[in-house]
Amino acid sequence: MNPPASLGVLEEKKEEEHLSTPILGPSIHSDNPQERIQARRLRIAARLEARRREALGEYLDGKKEAEEDQSKSYKQKEESRLKLAKLLLCGTELVTNIQVAADIREIHRRVEEEEIKRQRLEKLENEVKTSQDKFDEITVKWEEGKQKRIPQELWEILNTQQVHCAGLIEDKNKLISELQQELKMKDDQYVKDLKKQADDICLLLERMEEQVKNVMKTFRQELHHIEKAFEVERHELLTSNKKKWERALQAHNAKELEYLMSRIKKVEDYEQQLNRQRIWDCEEYNVIKIKLEQDVQVGLEEINLILEQQLQQMKATYQLNQEKLEYNFQVLKKRDEESTVIKSQQKRKINRLHDVLNNLRSKYNKQIKQFQEENQSLTSDYKRLVLQFKEMQKAMRHFALIDDKQFREIWLMNEEEAKELISRALDVDRIIHTHHLGLPWTAPDFWFLKNVGPISQQQHKSATQILEEVLMRAEEEGAEEAASETESYLELPKQVSAKTTRRILMLLCDETGFLIESKLLSLLLPLEKNECYLLRLDALFSDDLYKLVHFFLKYQAHHSPPIQEQTSLVSALEPEELLDHGGGEGSLKEPPRSPVLIHPNDVLKILEAFVMGLRKPRDFRAPAKLLKGVRDASEDSEYWRALTTVIPAATLSLWDVLYTALEKYHLVLTQRAELLIENRSLEQQNTELQQLLQQYLDSKVNSELQVPPTHVFRMPTK
Amino acid sequence: MQETQTTPSLSIPSRSSTSTQDRSSTTGQASSTGPQPSKPPTIAPPVKPKGPSSGAGVHRMRRIIAEDTEWSLAIVPLLTELCIQHIVKNFQNNPILKQLLPEHQKKVLSHLPPDLPLAVTANLIDDENYWRRCCMQRWPVCHVDEHGGSWKRMFFELHLENLLKHFIPSTTDPEVILSLLPLCRNYVRTIRVDQFLPPVQLPSPPHGGDQSDSGSEGEMEEPAMDHYQLRDLVAGLDHLEELDLVYGVKDCGMNFEWNLFLFTYRDCHSLAATIKACHTLKVFRLTRSKVDDDKARILIRSLLDHPALEELDLSHNLIGDRGARAAAKLLSHSRLRVLSLANNQVRAPGAQSLAHALAHNTNLLSLNLRLNCIEDEGGQALAHALQTNKCLTTLHLGGNELSEPTASLLSQVLSINTTLTSINLTGNHIGLDGGKQLLEGMSDNKTLLEFDLRLSDIAQESEYLISQALCANREAARQQALNPSHFMSPITAKGPENPAG
Repeated sequence: MNPPASLGVLEEKKEEEHLSTPILGPSIHSDNPQERIQARRLRIAARLEARRREALGEYLDGKKEAEEDQSKSYKQKEESRLKLAKLLLCGTELVTNIQVAADIREIHRRVEEEEIKRQRLEKLENEVKTSQDKFDEITVKWEEGKQKRIPQELWEILNTQQVHCAGLIEDKNKLISELQQELKMKDDQYVKDLKKQADDICLLLERMEEQVKNVMKTFRQELHHIEKAFEVERHELLTSNKKKWERALQAHNAKELEYLMSRIKKVEDYEQQLNRQRIWDCEEYNVIKIKLEQDVQVGLEEINLILEQQLQQMKATYQLNQEKLEYNFQVLKKRDEESTVIKSQQKRKINRLHDVLNNLRSKYNKQIKQFQEENQSLTSDYKRLVLQFKEMQKAMRHFALIDDKQFREIWLMNEEEAKELISRALDVDRIIHTHHLGLPWTAPDFWFLKNVGPISQQQHKSATQILEEVLMRAEEEGAEEAASETESYLELPKQVSAKTTRRILMLLCDETGFLIESKLLSLLLPLEKNECYLLRLDALFSDDLYKLVHFFLKYQAHHSPPIQEQTSLVSALEPEELLDHGGGEGSLKEPPRSPVLIHPNDVLKILEAFVMGLRKPRDFRAPAKLLKGVRDASEDSEYWRALTTVIPAATLSLWDVLYTALEKYHLVLTQRAELLIENRSLEQQNTELQQLLQQYLDSKVNSELQVPPTHVFRMPTK
Repeated sequence: MQETQTTPSLSIPSRSSTSTQDRSSTTGQASSTGPQPSKPPTIAPPVKPKGPSSGAGVHRMRRIIAEDTEWSLAIVPLLTELCIQHIVKNFQNNPILKQLLPEHQKKVLSHLPPDLPLAVTANLIDDENYWRRCCMQRWPVCHVDEHGGSWKRMFFELHLENLLKHFIPSTTDPEVILSLLPLCRNYVRTIRVDQFLPPVQLPSPPHGGDQSDSGSEGEMEEPAMDHYQLRDLVAGLDHLEELDLVYGVKDCGMNFEWNLFLFTYRDCHSLAATIKACHTLKVFRLTRSKVDDDKARILIRSLLDHPALEELDLSHNLIGDRGARAAAKLLSHSRLRVLSLANNQVRAPGAQSLAHALAHNTNLLSLNLRLNCIEDEGGQALAHALQTNKCLTTLHLGGNELSEPTASLLSQVLSINTTLTSINLTGNHIGLDGGKQLLEGMSDNKTLLEFDLRLSDIAQESEYLISQALCANREAARQQALNPSHFMSPITAKGPENPAG
């Protein structure tokens, strides 16, 4: 509530500044508003007090009512709420009173201002009218003055005019001074208003502060009151509750006491009863006891006699037993001694044996270690050796190849040389025949002349050699590269397609699973299909793979067409033989048939036949290898010898005879040639001599000479 | 002795046998599969180094503790602490905040200095505590409640206000304010400016003394006296809801001149266009700015059918009847809830037109015509209007030269109307009879809570009785406001008390 009120006042103040300044006028009621405010303030204070008193009265009344129906705290709360509401209301009223007073003052001022303004306007209008009249008069007189001709009159008129004008100006000046007076008064008023408003604001602030303080104080008081009321109420509640509690406790105590008493009584009763019972029991017991004792006295005497007899007997047996036992004891003692001796011996023995056992164990361990080491070293040696062996083999093969090649090259070279020689010899022969002898010559036709390269088992080898080569490679690289191997096969003319091989192999795998160990199968399971086949095949055959393939094809070739498939194993052996010797030819002859034609059921049969057949080749294998190494030098020598006999012996003898004749002929010819040479040299000498002679004859000396020699020698020449 | 001997002798071979078995098994595996024998040695080495390394680690730890007993982790600041310090130090150049974890964000915010440039902080920091520190540093007194309880909003509103207050047209660069716009556009909801400085004039001492002269001068120089044009600023603020303007100069002291307090036509036109364009505006106040009828009409015309306006305050101006008529038109063409024309020059015709509009209005809650001069004619018209109006709750007619006829009509209104809660008739000449009539009216009324009749020439008795009636009404309203369980509570309170007492 407070801030807006103060703002309002501030606004008003400002607005008053605006309004009061422009309007000029006397301020009559400058003091009145303040008085009025004070009067009102007093009145309000009185009202406030009255209300407070009323409130107090209500408070007193309320107290009585409260005791009847409502709790103290609630009443207190209500009271304080009302009180505080009133306080707030009155306080705000008190504060806003200033604003209201300012408002009404402003209204009064406005009304007055309006009135004054109206009066001023009227006055000004009147003034304007009168001055206009006067001015008109003056202007009329000017006209009059113009008509005057006499200077005195004119002067008079001018004087009067001057007086009139001065009057007019004076009036105006008066008015102006009046207005200025008003303005000054207004200024004063404005300053006063400002001061008053400042006072008002101060008052407002004071009141607001007071109000705040008051409210705070009362609030605190009321809070205190409420708290007190609550406390009192609580206290009362506490005391009443305590009383209740105490009363209940007392009642409880009394009851307890009662219970206790009754209990004690009961206990006493029971005790008495017990005592009585005990006495009665005791008596009964005594009676029974006496009676029983009497009974026992009678029976005991009889029993005593029997018992004594028994005792005697018992004693006798006891003595007997004692003696027996003593004897036994002696015997046992001795035995015990013996047994201790034996025991000690045994113990010693055990010790010794233990020692031996330990020694043996240690030795055994040592040996185990040693053997293991040996084993390891041996295995490593073995591996190394195997490697070396393989390398050696490789090298050997390599060298064999190279040797072959070299051999072939040398052969070719020699052959070429020989052929060249032969051709030369034949040429010579031809020349001799045609030129010298004049005989018709026919070229000799020999088989070896057409031969190129090393002879012997070339065709025959092609099948087996290649097969072996491939097998060798297979051995060394394993079956994993079977596919590539087959590819290499394809390069050879006789080859089956890789596909067919593959299919046959797959068939084999599927049909001959029983040949593989179950362990391996379990290991194969996780592998891929392809690898699986390969490994299985590997397990099935070590090196006979390709052979088998061929065999299959062969078998098929022989059995599928006209011959029944049911032909026995014996017939199956034949292709096997073929395989070793002319397998290549066979396969060449027979176009590779689609392996689909092979019925899966036949696979086993074929295999059986193959195995039967394989036993033989295996035995012959090593010698075959050796044979291949030695080769057949016999044919070579024959060949070479044949080469030498390309010219038959008859012609040779002919050549010999011819040679001697020709030599003779040659001799004659040479003699002739010598003679010819001699003749030619003589001719030359002759010509030379002639030339010299000519020279001498033609020279000047001759002329100078008195007797020219020419003259002398002319004669003989000419 | 023997037993003791035998047990080790037995145990040893067993171990050796197991070991040999292991070996044999391993060798067996080795022979069977190629790569395996190499494995055991490869596994063994990684196991071995572990032992020594861990041992070394333990050693190292021990050594540190043994050598320096005073060393402890508590002395060394955490790396996060150092990072946060660095971030705080370089926040101006490289503000990193959103990427941090919430607790680190808090730390950074609590350490940021409040004088960082706004361009960095405005749209990055939403933390109220930071803005609180900024506000506290700049202004000694902060009423955050007046800014919706948001310190950030308060900061930007006060900052903008400050700039506007000290903006001198044609000397201050308008960029100063417009550059702030992108930073504060999301936060400013209220603009309260209680002074607009005029452009600086060249010294013109000759007409300092004469007032009328200076007045005429002011009119002639009007175009030069324009104030800051709010249009661009307001157009940029998306959430502006309240505009509270005073075209005047504060603390001018002895430099007072009339033309310091000029609200020119150009100002008026631009302001009208501004508020018309601002569709979010809810409260518009233009006070103490010498708004006369024409300017008021210009402004109100621009406010016709405004979508959001709820409060219009044109108090302490020079609005007359024509302005009041325009306001009346506005009442029927808007959703205005509060209208204040206090301390203007509205007279009976203006009040009559307002009453005409009020008779069928269903929006207006509060009407303030304090310190006008509507007199009985206007008062009667208003009273007639209130007989049909079902909406108005607050009516202030203080200082309006009202008298008995209005009072008699108002008493009728009081007995009929059930919406009015507050009437103020202070400073009128209602008179004794009027007071009695009002008292009669009050006796039938159960809703009025405030009825201010101070200084209105009413008999003290009737005033007292009216206040009593108001008290009763207030009590009833209070009871109603508290839920009906309030009536139950004393009964329930009684329940436990009875057996106790």
